[in-house]
Amino acid sequence: MTVEVCGMAGDGTIAAGGLINEAMSLGGFSVLGFDSYPAEIRGFGRCVTRSRIGSEEIVALADRTQVLISLDDEQSISRVPFLVDNGGVIFDNNPSGYREETKSLAAKLEPGISLFGMPLGDLATGASGTVRGRNLTALGAFTAIFGVPPDLFRKAISDKFTSKGKAVLEANLKSFNAGLRYAEEKFKDRATPVFDVRNKLGSGKRVMLSGNQAIAKAALDAGLKLYFGYPITPATPIMEYLAKQLPQRGGRVMQMEDEISSIGAVLGSYYAGARAMTATSGPGFALMTELITHGVMAEIPAVILNAQRGGPSTGLPTKTEQSDLHAAVFGGPGDSGRIVIAPTNVEECYAMTVKSFQLAEKYQTPVIVLTDFYLDNRVENLASPAASSEEKADWNMYPHDSTRGKYWRYASTESGISPRALPGTEGFIYTATGLEHTERGTPDYSPENHMMMSAKRYRKIMGALADLPSPVEFSSGRELEVGVIGWGSTFGSVLEAVNTAAERGLRVGALKITSIFPFHADVIRSFMNRCGHVLIPELNYSGQLANLIGHLHNKDVIRLNMVTGVPFSPSTILFEIENLVGAGT
Amino acid sequence: MKTPGKILAEKVKHIRDSNQFAVRSSALPTWCPGCGYFGIHHALSGCLKQMGMPLHEIVVVSGIGCAGRYPFFSNTYGLHTVHGRTLPVATGVKMANPGLTVYAVGGDGDGLAIGGGHLPHVIRRDVNINYLLFDNSMYGLTKGQPSPSSPVGTTTKASPFGTVDKPLNATLMALTYGIGFVARLFAGDPEGMRNAFVEGTRHNGFSLFHIYTTCVTFDKVNKTWDNLKRQIHPLPQNHDAGNLRKAFDAVLDDDFTTGIIFQKESA
Repeated sequence: MTVEVCGMAGDGTIAAGGLINEAMSLGGFSVLGFDSYPAEIRGFGRCVTRSRIGSEEIVALADRTQVLISLDDEQSISRVPFLVDNGGVIFDNNPSGYREETKSLAAKLEPGISLFGMPLGDLATGASGTVRGRNLTALGAFTAIFGVPPDLFRKAISDKFTSKGKAVLEANLKSFNAGLRYAEEKFKDRATPVFDVRNKLGSGKRVMLSGNQAIAKAALDAGLKLYFGYPITPATPIMEYLAKQLPQRGGRVMQMEDEISSIGAVLGSYYAGARAMTATSGPGFALMTELITHGVMAEIPAVILNAQRGGPSTGLPTKTEQSDLHAAVFGGPGDSGRIVIAPTNVEECYAMTVKSFQLAEKYQTPVIVLTDFYLDNRVENLASPAASSEEKADWNMYPHDSTRGKYWRYASTESGISPRALPGTEGFIYTATGLEHTERGTPDYSPENHMMMSAKRYRKIMGALADLPSPVEFSSGRELEVGVIGWGSTFGSVLEAVNTAAERGLRVGALKITSIFPFHADVIRSFMNRCGHVLIPELNYSGQLANLIGHLHNKDVIRLNMVTGVPFSPSTILFEIENLVGAGT
Repeated sequence: MKTPGKILAEKVKHIRDSNQFAVRSSALPTWCPGCGYFGIHHALSGCLKQMGMPLHEIVVVSGIGCAGRYPFFSNTYGLHTVHGRTLPVATGVKMANPGLTVYAVGGDGDGLAIGGGHLPHVIRRDVNINYLLFDNSMYGLTKGQPSPSSPVGTTTKASPFGTVDKPLNATLMALTYGIGFVARLFAGDPEGMRNAFVEGTRHNGFSLFHIYTTCVTFDKVNKTWDNLKRQIHPLPQNHDAGNLRKAFDAVLDDDFTTGIIFQKESA
């Protein structure tokens, strides 16, 4: 079931959506929530929260909504087309101020929709003395109508508001109870209790995390010491989370003057031996590319998160897109191979961030983690993610003591990984440089040396494939009519579409790719060549993953590109799968 | 007859054997004969020797340009970064390991043009970095273009009719940004530089050494040895380096007084 809350900026829409997620998670359901809000802080924009709730693991947002909770008629009208034919709408039937009939939500609804009109503002004012609690009054009604145990919401409300003081908590509970009582009485006959809490998932405690929170938590668990960053949507919440948490673990967060200085300080920090990271989005990432290639050349670790948003340039700051893949893999001067990984859900945001710190130090290279606005901001309730058990000391390769005095920092080893010494260590003095250099680190532009050192650096990066997660296949057989390859936040939609197609009897498969560079060419090629058609849906215009891996297929891959700024719709992918199957027969 | 190889080998041997050059690496500097940077290198080496710091606990971070090559000629840890980013990278090094003594080295193009935006912020943060700004008002490594500190009318291949932009004054900028330690120095005065380097290294906070130096190859008119020797003179004996107003006066009155202009540790 999908529940939406829609209102104007300032109506408490996002808070109400958050409470739905928390309460349903407490009830043991799987939850995936995603908000959309305007780029302007207190403008006149529309806020929408979407919560998909289920008794099985949720992998994607649904295309249609069962319940719409409206805090503002005019804004909510835009959500009407997304309602299922027999959906329900909770709305304020006595809003403050005059409203033209043509702008009333009720007038726009089809006959099959159940209307639950109630005086939200009046009830909140009567209960708590202020109209501000009308979002909670609406939640009270939702609870009564759809059979959610009210204590789940009361617990979620007290978790959220206890820190704001007793008065605030009481006022919110009163508003909630007012809506609950009114709806219990008024809509007694029309109540449809759909939430059977006996259907819930395993009883293990689940934590509600956004992608950004999972990344920040993972960085802490991986031993982050220093965070350098510059505010940019949608990466800023990571800096804000760490600003609070990192000092408690003896680390520091420094807000720098720009993204160039942020990555510069990360490199300086890693050169001197402290784990550091920065998080940014496309425009900031573009500024970082020169120094990222310095990390490649001087073989200095770095962890860089690129939380993609709509581009190019300033683009669509609060909309989701997957259009920085080329920039992440190829951006910057020269042959600058670096590791690029892309989680597909919140759980992987955690795991792959931990992994990025390990890879950066083991392979002495910048590692780029690609997420996107949707993945960063959506919340999922997960079984508590566990910290990596790998021995952190093994992430590094330090010089053997016998090399003291004749130390070669950039020795061209078989693996391409050279012994890394940290400043402060006696007997291993060297200079790291962005100039092409010899194995000892002295500048050298000779043809033989540049050939040898370029090969060494690529040997190292390609060798990292052994430590990178292999593509994962979800399929219903060996020979497939359509194989769909997905990456990033789009993969959840791919999986849902493929599962639905399989239920309809089609021979389909999905391949999840999280290692963007280097990538597992053999695995991808053998999957492709078992498929009648290979479909690659991406939230970008030019088909950036398809450009990267398309040549592995023995015929053209089929691109499905959307730049709508919203998460990829599973039904769009399903439609394309069915088209391809139809075309093939 | 001596071959060039033999001459080089002898020079290297001379450097190795001479205790005076203990801080210098075995690599021969790529700077032009007569360059002021030799004097700066000599003075910083003298400072390190005088302070007796273990060389493996020192990191020299540099940018791009003639000054950027400094770390290769120094027997310390070195980090030769990209153009203009010396200060943020040095910030990361110092934050990661405060036990290291960090010198940032760069020219006037690196520090006042492409990297000019970092100076106010590194001063605000007051991280304990020692920044040597080699100011010869010339882009030397790209063969002679005007820099942000070139006087109006500077003629180069890139400015055949003379520059029209006004020059920046790094010392004055640093005072305005609220710096805790700034010295204006002259590359032809090793003793004055060494004393200031020692003071600035001891200063607990960001220190700027604004060093007037030469580009003997591409500047035959402005910051030449002859001109600088004539113009440079020390601060008056009674200069009060703890007084910000006096520091401003000293800089505003005169572009060529050298010495420790201002020194005050933040509370």
